[in-house]
Amino acid sequence: MRVGVIGTGTMGNAHAAAYRRIPGVELAGVASRSTEIKPEQLLADPSVELVSICLPTHLHVPYATAAARAGKHVICEKPLARTLADADAIIDACRAAGVRLFVGHTLRFSPDWALGRAQVLGGAVGNPGVARTRRVAPFPAGRDDWFADHGISGGVLLDLMIHDFDWLRWTFGEVQRVYALSTRGRGADRADYALVLLRFASGVVAHAEGSWAHPAFNHGFDVAGDRGYLEYRMDRSVPLSISRRGDEAAERARVAVPESPLAEDPYTAQIRHFVECLRTGAEPLVTPADARAALAIALAAETSARTRQPVALEGGGAR
Amino acid sequence: MKLAILSFAHIHADINAPIIRQMPNAELAAIWDDDRERGAARAAQYGVPFVPDLAELLRSDVDGVLIESENARHPALALQAAAAGKHILCEKPPAVTVADARAMIDAAARHDVVLMTAFPARFSPPVVRAREAVLAGEIGRVVAINGTNRGTFPGGWFADPALAGGGAVMDHTVHVLDLMRWFTRQEPVSVYAEVDRRFHDIPSDDCGTLAFEFSGGAFGTLDTSWSLPEPSFPTWGDVTMEIVGTRGTISLDAIAQNLTLYNSDAVKAQRLYWGSDMYRLMLDDFVAAAGERRPPRATGEDGLVAMAVALAAYRSARSGRTEPIWEPG
Repeated sequence: MRVGVIGTGTMGNAHAAAYRRIPGVELAGVASRSTEIKPEQLLADPSVELVSICLPTHLHVPYATAAARAGKHVICEKPLARTLADADAIIDACRAAGVRLFVGHTLRFSPDWALGRAQVLGGAVGNPGVARTRRVAPFPAGRDDWFADHGISGGVLLDLMIHDFDWLRWTFGEVQRVYALSTRGRGADRADYALVLLRFASGVVAHAEGSWAHPAFNHGFDVAGDRGYLEYRMDRSVPLSISRRGDEAAERARVAVPESPLAEDPYTAQIRHFVECLRTGAEPLVTPADARAALAIALAAETSARTRQPVALEGGGAR
Repeated sequence: MKLAILSFAHIHADINAPIIRQMPNAELAAIWDDDRERGAARAAQYGVPFVPDLAELLRSDVDGVLIESENARHPALALQAAAAGKHILCEKPPAVTVADARAMIDAAARHDVVLMTAFPARFSPPVVRAREAVLAGEIGRVVAINGTNRGTFPGGWFADPALAGGGAVMDHTVHVLDLMRWFTRQEPVSVYAEVDRRFHDIPSDDCGTLAFEFSGGAFGTLDTSWSLPEPSFPTWGDVTMEIVGTRGTISLDAIAQNLTLYNSDAVKAQRLYWGSDMYRLMLDDFVAAAGERRPPRATGEDGLVAMAVALAAYRSARSGRTEPIWEPG
């Protein structure tokens, strides 16, 4: 299977690296407006069956729909789009063209988060009551600083916390209402930080923290139920930490670089799964409807943060 | 300074009593309890007289009292103690209504006695150091705080709304909300809350997640749930704050100074706390404040505000809307 990647940022490189690790997949090229291969060339290549869209969020709709019209199956990075209308345009274009659409909610392929969900569903904590997620990181570097353009990226509420919204919905079912607080509009400059309360139809209460104001990446969750409490913090689960002396950059930063090696990293596992779904026709672990629902939660949170009142989700964000 | 403990209904009475006996400048002089059996047993345990008649105790030369009754019974005890000229360290929350808490503050002022709210977290050295860093501007301007003050279910009257004024939200809102005020020097303006009963078969709420707006534009959230499982969870609960500023962040876990013990006779791993004793530091401040007739680190007013936030959280849970902390009128 020949595949292409559009986008040369962090995610474009991650997809390209993943494709190179998957047997039977041939990477036709990685394209962007500044590379030798242009996106249009990839889309015009009849031998390319599958294209990864790894562009800033507002560009998902033009490139994903163009790929669909060119008859390519699409793997689109999260969030699926900046608006529900754009998400629907992508979903509709793929359906009309008869191509598959996969959305990169990588957390579902991350063994820590997958195990946490499986334990909760298996009754490890009894009936769940309160769940908390945490996702903190430094402000991301993107081309033209696109992450700082709220109209494009949606900030932490959309770009970062959509991972947690998807995991929470995957684990606890449909969301009834959300209440969100965000630093946006409070003169905090690049300290993009948000706290979100979610109430599920099941009665579960969740609290999600998202930050682009922290010095290092960390994530985790905890779930309290009537029979137990399950807790995960990445920074307390580090199997390997490498500090180098005599390395100028490392000594200046005075940080040990944590690593968590796995037999297969989540990006590769995810893309291998999507390729497998294409080959077999199986339903993917994350459907376009799931991606749309996660987007609906994030957008409701954005509205709540602006209006400073809770926002109800009709039908849990399903169309 | 001679101190008396009024009631052992609150579990913190049994934390404070042994500490007082170790303080060189304080003496546990008497115990009163409306539960005579409990009071007599504690008096025997701590080797002090049990005085079943509160009026008699308040006529004695006791200088100050610790009020450790059920929340709803604080005001009556505080008003009598103040009228008798006794300094007061009152367990949190000070009362279960704003009017009662105000009456306690007014009585203490009228009779010129110290009224302190038992907020031991203000005395935790890691908390104090975090506040110093915030006030020194080490992380710029504080924009948000993500707090937790979760616990195991304390049992008994804590889940009786008539005596406790609520459940987990009333019990656990006050400490960390108080720290948020103390750190930011901003007052809570409004609250949104998800409140429910999800963990225990009890008459009160046991699950609370609150979101606050502060007067200076900062915001915060707080998990107040009695969500940690007994007997498996290694300690009583947690006190954490993730503080986000315009130029940095602070992660605070106030009770992280522990050894970890795995003992085969116990069902769980245990955390053995070796940090400084915040209750001792709180009692030292109460005795010093009473002696010097100066305001204690946590005043009656501080207790009132924190309690008002918990009451507003219950209003929000009923209305499904953001509620102002202070009801109009």
